[in-house]
Amino acid sequence: MSAGPAIEVSGLDGGYGGAPAISEIRFHAPAGTMVAVLGPNGGGKTTLFRALLGELPRWTGTVTVTGTTAYVPQTERYRLDFPVSALDVALMGAYSEAPWYRPLRREQRARAAAALDRVGLGGQAGEHFGSLSGGQRQRVLIARALVRDASVILLDEPLSGVDHPSGERILTILRELRDEGRTLLVSSHDIEQAKRFDAVLCLNGRQVYYGPPGGMTAAVLHETYGGEIVVLASGEQAIVVQHHHH
Amino acid sequence: MQRAALEIALLAPVAGLLGAQIVLRRLAFFTHGVGTAAFPGLVVAGPAGIPPALAAFAVGGGFAALLERLGRRAAIAWDAATALVLVAALAVGIILASDVFATGAGVDQLLFGSLLAIGRGELIVTAVALVATLAAAARLRRRWIASGFDDRDRGAPGSPGAAADLILLAVIAFAAIAAIDAVGALLVSAVLVVPAATARLFATSVAGLEAGAAAIALVEGLAGLVIAFHLDAPPGAVIAVLGAGVFAAALAWRQLTAPSDVVVAGR
Amino acid sequence: MTDLLTEPLRDGITQRAILELLILAVVCGPLGVWVVLYRQSYATESIAHSMLPGLVIASLASIPLGLGAAAGLAVAAICIAAASRQRAVGADVAVAVTVTGLFGLGTLLALSPDVPVRLGEILFGDPLAVSAGDLAASAALAVVTLLALARGHRSLTLSGFDPQTARNLGGGNQRAAALLLSLLTLTVLIAVGSLGNLLVVAIVIGPGAAALRIARSLTGALWIAAAAAAFAGVAGIYLSYWAELAAGASIAICAVAVFALAMAMSRLTGRPAVS
Repeated sequence: MSAGPAIEVSGLDGGYGGAPAISEIRFHAPAGTMVAVLGPNGGGKTTLFRALLGELPRWTGTVTVTGTTAYVPQTERYRLDFPVSALDVALMGAYSEAPWYRPLRREQRARAAAALDRVGLGGQAGEHFGSLSGGQRQRVLIARALVRDASVILLDEPLSGVDHPSGERILTILRELRDEGRTLLVSSHDIEQAKRFDAVLCLNGRQVYYGPPGGMTAAVLHETYGGEIVVLASGEQAIVVQHHHH
Repeated sequence: MQRAALEIALLAPVAGLLGAQIVLRRLAFFTHGVGTAAFPGLVVAGPAGIPPALAAFAVGGGFAALLERLGRRAAIAWDAATALVLVAALAVGIILASDVFATGAGVDQLLFGSLLAIGRGELIVTAVALVATLAAAARLRRRWIASGFDDRDRGAPGSPGAAADLILLAVIAFAAIAAIDAVGALLVSAVLVVPAATARLFATSVAGLEAGAAAIALVEGLAGLVIAFHLDAPPGAVIAVLGAGVFAAALAWRQLTAPSDVVVAGR
Repeated sequence: MTDLLTEPLRDGITQRAILELLILAVVCGPLGVWVVLYRQSYATESIAHSMLPGLVIASLASIPLGLGAAAGLAVAAICIAAASRQRAVGADVAVAVTVTGLFGLGTLLALSPDVPVRLGEILFGDPLAVSAGDLAASAALAVVTLLALARGHRSLTLSGFDPQTARNLGGGNQRAAALLLSLLTLTVLIAVGSLGNLLVVAIVIGPGAAALRIARSLTGALWIAAAAAAFAGVAGIYLSYWAELAAGASIAICAVAVFALAMAMSRLTGRPAVS
């Protein structure tokens, strides 16, 4: 992996047309970092990811990403009725490697199978994707990012809706990837968990904070979530109250 | 001619109340499907001596029920189910019409309507459909409006047990069949969808949409009737073309007066 | 017993009809799988209906029906696109209005007195009227369609399964949608001669939906759909021959029956219903 910062962003304002959805974003993440991206729903986390992928329609500023970027969206949005197996999904990571008239060779299939092994799903390679559990589906999508050998991986709330043991499993895998020198951005609603990451980026339209989790003061959280925080009696756990907009 | 005008007048409020729901809840395909699916019932009715409306309602109602069941079992995407049941009904109707009953001449009428030749029986059916619509709307209109804005895959039947949604589908089926007499099984949308679509361009409230749709349906229906009479052309087709033309004109007017409303290509 | 199978084949008309249906099957089957996955059944129905005025005018002017249909479709596409751009108009309403209007126009042209248009064939198809020239044209269009499907396979898979990451993985949602729509239009054009514009939906959706019920993989579904469509087409011709029923309608019924069969089969093998 390269020695310089994997992600370098400065002066980023961006959106879909009309008022910018995110503004004043500036941060740089070295290779081998796990960054938690916190913020309320609609606060711009997905918009930021799109900007890093180069898929945002309107933006100004500088965005430099070194290496391949892979996107792992939430599994709730998936077509569970699609007739694809876990291996098929992992293999999608290799689609861009060969032209259309050349079928994907054994080498690519082997890589997909190895990626599934890596995330602990080697035995489930032939299973229908839609019949896997939420946590398993999330891991398949991570395997897909591995098939691409991405140096930057953007994960959209990979732990929401996943039971605790699966969540821990996923975090372990993510830490391994980070130790290999990959850079991971993980959007989340879990403030406690974010404290275990290397860095935290707080977004609420504009960038509120970027730095080590220790610098995430109550004031920062308040500005990020706008008073939606409930701190439990023990004083140690803060829970974000989410309002679901439809 | 007078009976034809009365038929239109009876259909207009139905077109208003139900058309609004159809347009808001994306039930256009369902409506078209019900109308088309009633076709075999109509073919069988004559030779079998059954009142056409009854046969049509049996088949059309069967269509709605079958769709609801298929959709609920999630065995297949709802739109594919609609297409398949619709085409099966049409094919069965064609076979019955041309090969079994040798009523080939009547097929055109069934498919395209016979507004000018409408009889007392058909008027009564339409009147009953109107009453059913008014009764259902009186009780359920608010619930329809509320669940119509639900953030799920509109156009599919509501969740099982959502009685209000089922009743709406049943009433639409009934109205579609009543409209078949006027404009034919294939052009039911000309009465139930197109006027409401036109009204929607200007309406700012559901009530406005309903009133507008009813008014447009009335005017288009009567005008179409007169034009068809003078041109000696099938009234259903004339109303359909008229409706589309009025919609296009309304659209053009809208774009001239409120161009900022144009949708930019979405993400 | 073999007479049942061989007697119809002695007739040149039936031979050509069966060949045409086989060509159609190879295209409509796999395409139908995508149409069902992308939830484009209403679009299929609408494309077919919108062709009516074009077909009628072509029939009146004695120009090849295919040209009339193509021109009519172009008009429909423009109308739908123009209407969809308004915020107060949804895509499905735009389609409903355009299709109703065009269908009504076609009817007017066809049913107005002293106009010798064979509306029945246009609406319900006439597979037995296919000529050697038609076969060649269908085959050529089929080759083009199949090549395009092969080329777009990955793109269609990516955008169908996961539109959010499609671009990231080398695909593109708009490209995939445009490809599907163009191929659908092309396929309906080929099939409308045999099945008529009211019934064409059957041979596109039926086998595709059936395949998705029983296949375990996407590629498997594509092959099964082609086979199912071929079966439906040939069975329909045989049904029409022996029971003396309208050919187009027979094929349509067989196509729907194939789906019903697949539903029953999957129910028996206990395959869980997927949403």
